[in-house]
Amino acid sequence: MMAAAQEDWNALSDEEFRRVFRSWVDENCPRELRFMRKQRPVFDEVSEWYHALAEKGWLSPVWPQEYGGMGLNPAKHIVYVEEWARLGCPRIPDHGIGLVGPLLIEHGSEEQKERFLPQILSGEHIWCQGYSEPNAGSDLASLRTSAVREGDEFVVNGQKIWTTLAHCANWILLLVRTTKDEKVRQKGITVLLVDLTSPGVIVRPIPNLRQEADFCEVYFDDVRVPAGNVVGEVDEGWRLAKAVLGHERIFLGAPSRPEYALRRLERLAEDRGAFDDAAFVSRYAKLRLDLYDLSSAFERFAKVLRTGGTLGADVSVLKVFCSELYQRITEEMLAVAGEEARFNDDLDIAGGQIDAMNLYLDSRAPAIFGGSNEIQRSILAKAVLALPN
Amino acid sequence: MPQIDLDDEDGTLAMLRDSVAAFATTTGGATSLRERRAAGSDLDLAQWRAMADAGWVGLTLPEDLGGVGLGLREQVVLSESIGRALLTEPLAQLGVFSSVLLAASGPGETRDRLARGLADGSRIVSQVWQDTRGRRHPLDASLTGETVTIDGTGHLVAAPRTATDFLVMARTGKELMLVAVDAKTPGFSHSLRPTVDGSMIGSADFEGCTVPTDQILCRNTQVETAFADAIEATRLALASELAGLGARALEITVEFTKERVQFGKPIASFQTIQHRLVDMWSDSEFACAAQANAVETLADNPGLAASLAILAAKARAGDAAVSITRRAIHLHGAMGFTDECDISLYMKRATNLNATLGQSEELRLEFVSRERAA
Repeated sequence: MMAAAQEDWNALSDEEFRRVFRSWVDENCPRELRFMRKQRPVFDEVSEWYHALAEKGWLSPVWPQEYGGMGLNPAKHIVYVEEWARLGCPRIPDHGIGLVGPLLIEHGSEEQKERFLPQILSGEHIWCQGYSEPNAGSDLASLRTSAVREGDEFVVNGQKIWTTLAHCANWILLLVRTTKDEKVRQKGITVLLVDLTSPGVIVRPIPNLRQEADFCEVYFDDVRVPAGNVVGEVDEGWRLAKAVLGHERIFLGAPSRPEYALRRLERLAEDRGAFDDAAFVSRYAKLRLDLYDLSSAFERFAKVLRTGGTLGADVSVLKVFCSELYQRITEEMLAVAGEEARFNDDLDIAGGQIDAMNLYLDSRAPAIFGGSNEIQRSILAKAVLALPN
Repeated sequence: MPQIDLDDEDGTLAMLRDSVAAFATTTGGATSLRERRAAGSDLDLAQWRAMADAGWVGLTLPEDLGGVGLGLREQVVLSESIGRALLTEPLAQLGVFSSVLLAASGPGETRDRLARGLADGSRIVSQVWQDTRGRRHPLDASLTGETVTIDGTGHLVAAPRTATDFLVMARTGKELMLVAVDAKTPGFSHSLRPTVDGSMIGSADFEGCTVPTDQILCRNTQVETAFADAIEATRLALASELAGLGARALEITVEFTKERVQFGKPIASFQTIQHRLVDMWSDSEFACAAQANAVETLADNPGLAASLAILAAKARAGDAAVSITRRAIHLHGAMGFTDECDISLYMKRATNLNATLGQSEELRLEFVSRERAA
């Protein structure tokens, strides 16, 4: 498939780009996919939208245009993500676009780029991210899945877990241990591209709190991987794996999720007459202002990107605040629901339904993933406040 | 460390920050606060005049009224800086509030004289418009020919002993008016009451104080607008002062916990302490971001959006400063509970400013009610 030729989007003003992007997305993202209950739909559920984006050449906002991306700078990327959220477009399986692509563009061989990047854009390769293990979560560097060199191949043994959407992916970006160094655990880790259809791979979905399968266990039993699938140098994968997020860390703190939840809370509260209750209004006001101020704080970091700066470790303050606010909003939804807070299905309101429990359960996750909030606080303590060990 | 991050193309903001920092090295915040507290004074006139000489008192007054003619963007940075430096002269009330009232009044000899005096420090211009609980409370006014007579007592007045002039909100049966009353007018008296941070505010009592009608600065809707604008501008100044002092209290506490050794290690190496400090830093960051948002919203989108942004800015900065300084005292241990340790002064100052012109809960409720009404 050929993607449409791209303009120099960065030459437009943010507002012009916003208009162009919004109007096309609003016209082309199927209505029935907007504001889905599911945070992480599988590929088949959103393939129509995926292909529409691919054809337009808008699937990959930040890849350079020579690789089929839009080549957006961070400021335009923020607009892209904001409009996506505003219009309620579903999240697509995006590990290929957000993780594997940038990694290969930065560190991959020419052969790897030619082989893998077009397959991501066409939707033939759906990627997942094989980082966490049963005993390597927050302490990722303690990972043990091993890869042993045998001729032109590596033989992989071990287990990954919490692998989002592995059950509908066909490739995995794997962090494996190629050398054991007890002193420096970050050494000896290698990035490997692994075909999930290889013999010896078993993928088992794990139902989450919402009883949906969105993450999995992935087992590797003597899985043979061509040595040409190593990204960068053997034993030097840790730095690659860590560097890949870059400016996109700001999106872990984007206000769109709590904002969506707050709008739902407002509708529920209006329906239940909670705005006549002074105690509710007081709690609501706190949540409303927390959301308002999160937007102000987000803007402070977005401005750094817009003016050509790079983000420091301090940006993760947004992730911590945002994920905790999301939780507090959904907790308030259950409080407003009163006796109905026990129901697993949606709550009826005049002219619609509110997925209070769905959001309440969903809101447990963001404080855990992407580096738990406790890990974030420890990083901030060192990186921003320079507190001692 | 957190700071209110605003574009500063011509360097004015950096200059303001430097000038406050230099000022504070000669008249240290904690020291002068303690001196003033011991003296029971409601204003340190020498310090006030020095602040006027620096152009801070009339910063936002138009130049043709003797001011510097800068805007709230610059005021925010000035207020943040004096908050950091713990300079506790009531600049928000005697500078910002009075400046807005005077600038909003009609031109005239009285208005111009007071504005010029305010800016050069020769007049100390306070306001009288609140009751004991801070509610709006116009005094009684009666008009007789060429004079107006004021009766009643206003409360929560800044510098009631040292003020040379009062801008009094007063009401006849029909009319609301803003009247300038010289402190030397027969029938005026005051009382002082200490606030927690050692500053003094008090009441201003007017018993048949009669002044010529040309001291009526404005009437009715003009008074309403002037006060609404003055309250907003002053809230923003207070909010930025709170943001500055919160950030400074955080810095002091970070330094202290790095130096304080227990169990053979600096207490800042313990995870419990680290996470608390990070939460304090986060609150401080958000407080500063809220000020920048208010400034940008005022510039881009005056009206309701700016009013909401100012309410949010003070609510956020008040909560942040009060809770940062409270935690700061705790992290200083028993030392934090002593009067000798400066950190308590930040906590007390935060308590005072947070309670001035609306605590956070009240401001949030006003935000929500105005937003939902729109």
